[in-house]
Amino acid sequence: MTSCVPRADWCTGRGTSVARVALEIPKVGLVMEQARLVRWLKNPGDFVAQGEPVLELETEKSVVEIEATVSGRLVEQLVKVDEEAKVGDRVAWLETDAASSAATHPTAATSRESEASAHAAAPAAGSAEASASGTSAGGAVPRASHPTGALGSVASAGASHVSSPSVTSHASSPSPTSPARDVSRSAGPPGASASANGHGDGRVRSSPVARRLAAQSGIDIGTVVGTGPRGRVQLEDVRRAIQARSLQTGANGAASAPQPLSSMRRALARAMTLSNATVPQFAVERSVDWTAVQAARARFASDSRAGSPKLSVNDFLLQAIARALLSYPALNATFRGDPESPDAAIVPAVGAHIGLVVAVDNGLLVPVLHDVERLGLAELARRRSEVVERALQGRLKQAELEGATFSLSNLGARGPDRFNALINPPQSAILAVGRQREGVVVLNGGIHVRPLSTLSVTVDHRVADGRLAAEFLAYLVEILEGDDWRV
Amino acid sequence: MHTLQTPPATPSINDLLQMYRALWRIRVFEGQVQRLAAAGEVPGFPHLSTGQEAVAVGVCAHLSPQDTLFTSHRGHGHVLAKGADIEATFAEILGRETGVCRGRGGSMHLVDAAHGVLGATGVVGGNLPLAAGAAWAAQARGEKHISVVFFGDGATGAGVFHETVNLAVLWKLPVLFVCENNGYAEFTSREEHSNVKHVSAFAAPYDLTAQTIDGNDVLAVYAAAGAAIAQLRRGDGPYLLECMTYRMAGHFVGDAQHYRSKEELAAVREKDPIERLKRHLLAQGVAQSELDSLGEQAKEEVQAAVERARVAPHPDPRTVGEYVYSAPSLAHVP
Amino acid sequence: MSQTFIEILRRALDEELARDASVHLLGEDVAAGGAFGVTRGLAQKHGEQRVRNTPISEAAITGVATGAALCGLRPVLEIMFIDFATLALDCLVNQSAKYRYMSGGQLAVPMVVRTQAGAAGGAAAQHSQSLEAWFIHVPGLVVVAPSSPVEAYGLLKSAIRLGDPVLFIEHKRLYTMREDMPENPELPPIGKARIAREGKDVTLIAYSAMVNIALEAADELARAGISAEVLDLRTLLPLDMRTIAASVAKTHRVVIAHEAVQNGGVGAEIAARIGSELFDELDAPVTRVACPFVPIPFAPELERALLPGRDDIVRAARGLVHGQGH
Repeated sequence: MTSCVPRADWCTGRGTSVARVALEIPKVGLVMEQARLVRWLKNPGDFVAQGEPVLELETEKSVVEIEATVSGRLVEQLVKVDEEAKVGDRVAWLETDAASSAATHPTAATSRESEASAHAAAPAAGSAEASASGTSAGGAVPRASHPTGALGSVASAGASHVSSPSVTSHASSPSPTSPARDVSRSAGPPGASASANGHGDGRVRSSPVARRLAAQSGIDIGTVVGTGPRGRVQLEDVRRAIQARSLQTGANGAASAPQPLSSMRRALARAMTLSNATVPQFAVERSVDWTAVQAARARFASDSRAGSPKLSVNDFLLQAIARALLSYPALNATFRGDPESPDAAIVPAVGAHIGLVVAVDNGLLVPVLHDVERLGLAELARRRSEVVERALQGRLKQAELEGATFSLSNLGARGPDRFNALINPPQSAILAVGRQREGVVVLNGGIHVRPLSTLSVTVDHRVADGRLAAEFLAYLVEILEGDDWRV
Repeated sequence: MHTLQTPPATPSINDLLQMYRALWRIRVFEGQVQRLAAAGEVPGFPHLSTGQEAVAVGVCAHLSPQDTLFTSHRGHGHVLAKGADIEATFAEILGRETGVCRGRGGSMHLVDAAHGVLGATGVVGGNLPLAAGAAWAAQARGEKHISVVFFGDGATGAGVFHETVNLAVLWKLPVLFVCENNGYAEFTSREEHSNVKHVSAFAAPYDLTAQTIDGNDVLAVYAAAGAAIAQLRRGDGPYLLECMTYRMAGHFVGDAQHYRSKEELAAVREKDPIERLKRHLLAQGVAQSELDSLGEQAKEEVQAAVERARVAPHPDPRTVGEYVYSAPSLAHVP
Repeated sequence: MSQTFIEILRRALDEELARDASVHLLGEDVAAGGAFGVTRGLAQKHGEQRVRNTPISEAAITGVATGAALCGLRPVLEIMFIDFATLALDCLVNQSAKYRYMSGGQLAVPMVVRTQAGAAGGAAAQHSQSLEAWFIHVPGLVVVAPSSPVEAYGLLKSAIRLGDPVLFIEHKRLYTMREDMPENPELPPIGKARIAREGKDVTLIAYSAMVNIALEAADELARAGISAEVLDLRTLLPLDMRTIAASVAKTHRVVIAHEAVQNGGVGAEIAARIGSELFDELDAPVTRVACPFVPIPFAPELERALLPGRDDIVRAARGLVHGQGH
């Protein structure tokens, strides 16, 4: 989470002073210049406590929540969902709680009358509020400002109406996104009332897998005609809807129209173009026998006590890569600058910092595990699963995306037999792990069936040569086929 | 613990002094269980064998570590007499990681395989066939080991007692059935439980050799058990030893024992197996001071072990899922 | 040449007796060949010490087998009908299953209890039940229910070699089923299910004799253009959720079929786990085909009317695929 930059304007209305604070987009990480607004977490009229997230931004690398550093009421949203915003842009107005000044002000009585009328419009806000305002406006206003709950928010809006004429329009004529209405809307998916299979309660009958596919394909499940029992939308129905959409859009040409890039896709496109255009790279391959790793995993699984993390093959790979990198420091480095320039240099890294390629919706992220050489398998598994989890949620910190010299790309059991990966600049190598399958190996003259994969390491030729890469890979395989693991 | 393969008909004074100390060991152990249970340090509900020590000591004096022992819910004394480690046994009763079963079993499920203690059970009569099975394993392998099972007279009400005795005689299994007839099955006296006054009366129809003896006289128990076990080791089939004894404690710790009179409890003290062996040894010329010293030694030995057990570590909750199956791949934890 | 289920079981026992001196058979009439002839000839070959007749005392003989297992034998106990396992429940549930745990890993009970279950031929209410669900509720037990002679051969051997108490349930209808014994039959690991037939539209989960009925249903469904995958669980405890998950991820629809009554059955456990662990894969409610909540009747026409069959599975599967059910 990142905090908003508060910019206060002090307004004076009928002798009551109130602070209007602009929310501006802070700089997130080192490289962010602009971002797309994913969604508002607060609506106009909502009370926002200091530290509460207000909106979500999608940067090139991840989705970040922007939080408020001051408490107050959100009175205006200045940017719409999907709009781009730059660092420093003003995105919303917050009004800070000016209760203390209102309480001491002689004209507070006028406020109470207006407040009472606001409550009349929202009867469920309750007599407690009215009686509170009857005794002391100073006490009433902050107490009415429950940070959670729609009714509390409506009551607060009433209070703000008194304090500042400049925000009256927001408070007294609730916008369609006012919190009270949002509660009822959240019970059903958007558009449910007009949906093809809607029910009185706004719920769409649909199977879980149908919902998942619809969400992945950007189909509003409420628009899909369900053919299942009682109109339930099933997998086939969503598949039909996807097909119909592509036929339809194909016919009117909309689908063939260029699609703007998402921030992540743009960042990927940039990095890969840079990689292919500026980094001379080559790959070396070797087969690895997983027998030892499997045995070690089984051993750790039986030793490990309930609650300790499950080890994945990637944890073994990460530990092995870290050890190999420290043994071949020439590969544990990055190339800097233009080869023609006198400033060009190879910058060695201290410690093993390894990126792990994680496929996410519409792209990929490469969170970095730092100082892997210091971590035992259990700790590595814990950090790895935690960082992957956050990558999938789009909640990585900038520091977690930087500092690696090497990446690991493992496409898993459904992956190809073997593949080469492109280096993620400024890193200087990447290991691509083919899917594991049983293969025949000849050992001591005997034929054995073993679990095998092809490892392919792509290396920046400016940093290292074939011989070094081959030796590095041979050592990596030796570690993986050995039995020397740090738990 | 003192063990003998071929016991003399009458034990030496030295053997008797060892037994005297063993009786005290159990007496003090049970006293400590009672004390700590009352203080809330013992989970669950332990069952004490106070007053029945002579049966455990007199029988187990003839057993080797390879002989197997099964017992009931009232089994602390048997386990100790068989040679189980005092500290690890007490730690188990306290539910500690250092307990014989790493805190998984407790008072009613004591197992110390290294000393041939294959287990106590919480189900009355439940261990009878298991003891027969252990005897079968020894017989099938041609080993000379025997199996002993201690049970209360209440277990003879269960069908499995009769099933097991029938099978053990049929198969000529080397299993010694030791019934501790302590006059009570849980809270109810024997008279209200069964028309058969003596458990040994069940033996005849099955052609089982049986004897009823004074279970509070360790000399009598020692002699009878020695003869019975000699028969077992010869391969002549099972034996039932009914030891008449008296449960000085309640059914479980905290049992108010409203079903027993004060006079009855006072008479019990007269029958105390420790007092009886003491009188015998004094008559044999052993000095009072030597006996006192043996009692003190047993007390110190047990108390030291108990204090160590009390400060032993508790099991790690993260290990709760261990030991369910032979392989972790079979463990069924979603 | 093909062999019956009984002959193949006998072969497995014969080979295990020869392979491992700690293997011993016991049970009512086993030295005489057993009620169904599974152990015929084995006492003569391996001696009456190793293939031992017992009195009709299920509680005692289960305890004897357990006690012997604690001391290192690998007893294979025959309980003639699973209905009689009720008499052995104290030992199985309170002792055999828990010994490893209660002793903190000091002792194990490597024992197989072979028993026979299921309805056929008017065996009526006390000799026809399918009581497997009772046992999957007990931590420490393993429950295996093979679906064919060759499967039974490998699973019985694997069970004998396992270090845990195994309830090995043979369906009486399978006893006459014939199969060719492969040259080098594999020994399936305990705890691993088997895809008996691949398909993509609906998964039929079954075990024991119901697997064969599910395979017939799959043939029928194929004629209607529905591709059914048949999963043979083999082991009911522990459940192989991994194989179940892979199949459900492919078909998104599940029918669980068993001969036991539906209420509290093995299918209930599977359905619950699919519901919680594989919710997002489902395109239709998990459906069970099972026996109505009635004891097994005596008269053949009543027995036939009660038992779930091929058509029940076909109907359930079609309902899911065509969205007609539920």
